[in-house]
Amino acid sequence: MLQFTVVNHQLSVGQIEILGVSSASMLQVGDTDNVALYSMFDTPPESVIVGPMAPLPLPEDAGGSMGEF
Amino acid sequence: MNIQADHTYPIRTASVGTICLISVAQAGTIQFGDRAETNGRIRALALQRQQDHTTSGDVFFESYPLFYRPLPSFSESEESAEQFLSVIRVNCSPNITVGHIQVIAAGSSASIQIGNGMQLRGESRIKHIRQYPRPRPVPPLGC
Repeated sequence: MLQFTVVNHQLSVGQIEILGVSSASMLQVGDTDNVALYSMFDTPPESVIVGPMAPLPLPEDAGGSMGEF
Repeated sequence: MNIQADHTYPIRTASVGTICLISVAQAGTIQFGDRAETNGRIRALALQRQQDHTTSGDVFFESYPLFYRPLPSFSESEESAEQFLSVIRVNCSPNITVGHIQVIAAGSSASIQIGNGMQLRGESRIKHIRQYPRPRPVPPLGC
């Protein structure tokens, strides 16, 4: 049995200055139990398509689904 | 799992003097106060192309595995963690104080919270595509 003891002493912060909190990130002033943050970001070189302006590939069941635009 | 030690404060209160926040967007959250469970989720296809979206065809999340691939999971289950681990918290002070917070933007299932939370889960899946026509070769000088 592992016993984990956390002692929280006085916590006082003067000023926090942040440009951006983005892509499944968090800023919290307080206590928390459980945090799970997932971020998937895809900009590979293949994502730049230079060539004839062809339509993008359709999924298998494209007939029954609506586009995102 | 959580055992409270004696002669301490059971919970800490967050107190913030001033906060200046310009923008919260795209499944971002800001909360003043306590919260049990948060589930922020965003799917985004950022498509930039040199043609009108109305004439160049539809786009589907289903076309890209990024939007349906499973999330990585931890092998230990929560029940087993409770059997092997006991957490004791000792809060020597009843307050967490912050003078001033300045944030320009919070987005893409980000969370800003002043207060206590129990469970936070954020998920962001973003894919960028840029589509341009091939530039025409410039004829050599003198032609």
